[in-house]
Amino acid sequence: MPTPAIDIQRIVKRYEHHVAVKSLSLVVPRGAVYGLLGPNGAGKTTTIRMLLNIIAPDEGTIQVLGVPHSDPSLVDRIGYLPEERGLYRKMKVRRVLRFLGELKGMSGAILDKRVEMWLERMQLKSGGEDWGDAKVDELSRGMQQKVQFIGALLHEPELVILDEPFSGLDPINAQALKDTIVDLKKQGRTLIFSTHIMDNAERMCDSVCIIARGEKVLDGGVAEVRESHGARMVAIGLDGAPSSAVQQVLADRSLVARTDESNRYLEVELAPNAKAPQLLTALVGAGAQIERFEIVRPSLHRIFLEKVGATNVETGMSGHG
Amino acid sequence: MGKLFAVIRREYLERVRTKWFVVATVLGPVFFGALMILPALISSRDKASAGGTNILIVDATGVGLGERVASRLAGGIDGGAKAPPVSVVAADAVAPAESLATRRVMSEELKGYLVLDSLTVAGSKARYSGSNTTAIFDMQRIERAVQREVMAMALEKNGIDPDVARTVLSTSVNVATERLTKAGRGGSGTLSFIVGIAVAFVLYTTIFIYGLNVLRGVLEEKQSRVAEVVISSVPASRLLAGKVIGVGGVGLTQLGLWLGMSFVMYQARQPILKFFGAAQVPMGLPDISLGLGLIVFAFFVLGFMLYAGLFAAVGATVNSEQEAQQAQMPVVLLLITSIMFLQNILTQPDSMLSRVLSMLPFSAPIVMPLRMTVAPVPPSEVAIALLSVSLGAVGSVWLASRIYRVGLLMYGKRPSIREVFRWVGQK
Repeated sequence: MPTPAIDIQRIVKRYEHHVAVKSLSLVVPRGAVYGLLGPNGAGKTTTIRMLLNIIAPDEGTIQVLGVPHSDPSLVDRIGYLPEERGLYRKMKVRRVLRFLGELKGMSGAILDKRVEMWLERMQLKSGGEDWGDAKVDELSRGMQQKVQFIGALLHEPELVILDEPFSGLDPINAQALKDTIVDLKKQGRTLIFSTHIMDNAERMCDSVCIIARGEKVLDGGVAEVRESHGARMVAIGLDGAPSSAVQQVLADRSLVARTDESNRYLEVELAPNAKAPQLLTALVGAGAQIERFEIVRPSLHRIFLEKVGATNVETGMSGHG
Repeated sequence: MGKLFAVIRREYLERVRTKWFVVATVLGPVFFGALMILPALISSRDKASAGGTNILIVDATGVGLGERVASRLAGGIDGGAKAPPVSVVAADAVAPAESLATRRVMSEELKGYLVLDSLTVAGSKARYSGSNTTAIFDMQRIERAVQREVMAMALEKNGIDPDVARTVLSTSVNVATERLTKAGRGGSGTLSFIVGIAVAFVLYTTIFIYGLNVLRGVLEEKQSRVAEVVISSVPASRLLAGKVIGVGGVGLTQLGLWLGMSFVMYQARQPILKFFGAAQVPMGLPDISLGLGLIVFAFFVLGFMLYAGLFAAVGATVNSEQEAQQAQMPVVLLLITSIMFLQNILTQPDSMLSRVLSMLPFSAPIVMPLRMTVAPVPPSEVAIALLSVSLGAVGSVWLASRIYRVGLLMYGKRPSIREVFRWVGQK
């Protein structure tokens, strides 16, 4: 088995007035799309910067692609898109990209070819239009974002780290980014991105790690996480308004803990000892015209709210991790 | 190494490509050219001026002093210039003659008039009124002419032969200065004076301009947020080194172009001066030995490194131009100190002040080359200065890279001095 793409063991980063990261450990397998989730100020960016050896951890060890994170050869194997984005404004796009490529150890004709390929792929060069010769200043924000992505991916890195890649993106560029991430995964690259948009994480990540206040709240595969945090919710769709018999079943506290009525269906939380089939049998017995009966895994969003909301780190009562 | 080179190349090319660089590079020699042409123009104007002769001499002396002064102003007995007219009046008729002359000056018929009376003959004073009293050279000529003729008359009165008196008074001794150093003769004193000032001034401006340029470059990377991408690919110290070398290279390129163009202009000075209608003034280049040139070059490079490091550190701690203006003051003051004592060092190159300033790391890059061009400096002192600047440069770059590394990713509030010092120690 190959070494994991990232192996972080008990890292700590302290600043004068607060501890940004507290004894965080996480492992990212190779070829995974990994989401680093957490509210603002949770320590995501600090963790990523330590990963990239931009800042040093006070304690703990970090292995990246099988070598210590301080190994100088690593920088050429990693692509990084920071949260705070920007380019040299007065420089021409092509020159900026070439410079970023050179910083990753590329040069000459290969670099030129790669730049042209990406400009075309990101539609910065098509038909008679070529934004490669324009100054960065002259580009729209969306186009600047694209140039930035190209800069992070130009050298075909084994490990791609994107810090809040979706922030400030319009829907079209967001979709282009998602497509690119899927492509990269197909090529066997490892991707890590941080976000606080759970929807994206849920759809794209194989595994996630939720951190809050510098600590890991939970981590694991998205499916497992949802599995372990759910199967208590059932969505029920009925043809017509529920009869009084059906309402009686739903009011039975030995079966149902809580009912949320949304517009088109009911969302039911099972009582602690009840099983979904029991509820189904009872409903059928009451003569309900069932159109839909589905065990709902809780969304990452819900888990996130639950976990991060419930974590009271300051008084020392943390949930997981 | 490849990455360092990439950083250097970007810093260098992006600056050389700007309009600002082209304009400054062309304007530099124009400025130096003006320095060459203007003095020549002024001195030739002095000779061509008719201001000294287009005057009226009101002579109330009764002993013919007016005629004598007029003939001297015309260039003596065999002078070519036209002698100014003399109006001989009685001692009590000076006032009306003066008012008449005043009207003629006001109608621009005359440049002015000179009143000579018994007081003049007694060796006390004469008066001149005119529209050209600020023309120093003309006034000097008139004053000298009156003085000489009064002295000549006094000598004659005491029985000295007029011709002898004239010859004696025409004696003019010109003291030519020549600099002597251990290496031999080194051009005129005045010239090495001028060269000393020029060298100090060019060093000062170049270090200042390009030091600030480094600051602005760092600030730009911070403001545009490009710093984090770059720093994830190259260590901060190498990015800083590339920046300092790249910007320094631009400075050297500009200096080189300036020197080259100035040299070409110097070679072609005759046609250029002719074009501007100025007579050629004998002008020699001082003998600057290759050794001195190399030492000046070394001081420039080291001095630039020292200040570029400090400016870069300042750039890393600020977030905006306004903050930079404030924060750069201590560094700028440090730099200004060396030029502030320019005069003291020029006139007393071996004083304690000059010696100390020429060996302190912050002032040595400018003061030591200045001292060396005006006076011989013991090699030991040059060596100490070079060593101190080297240490200063290394220290400054080290300090800067520590501050730079942390500051580059710090946005928001400007840090206090205390915080900056903590950054230096940070892992």
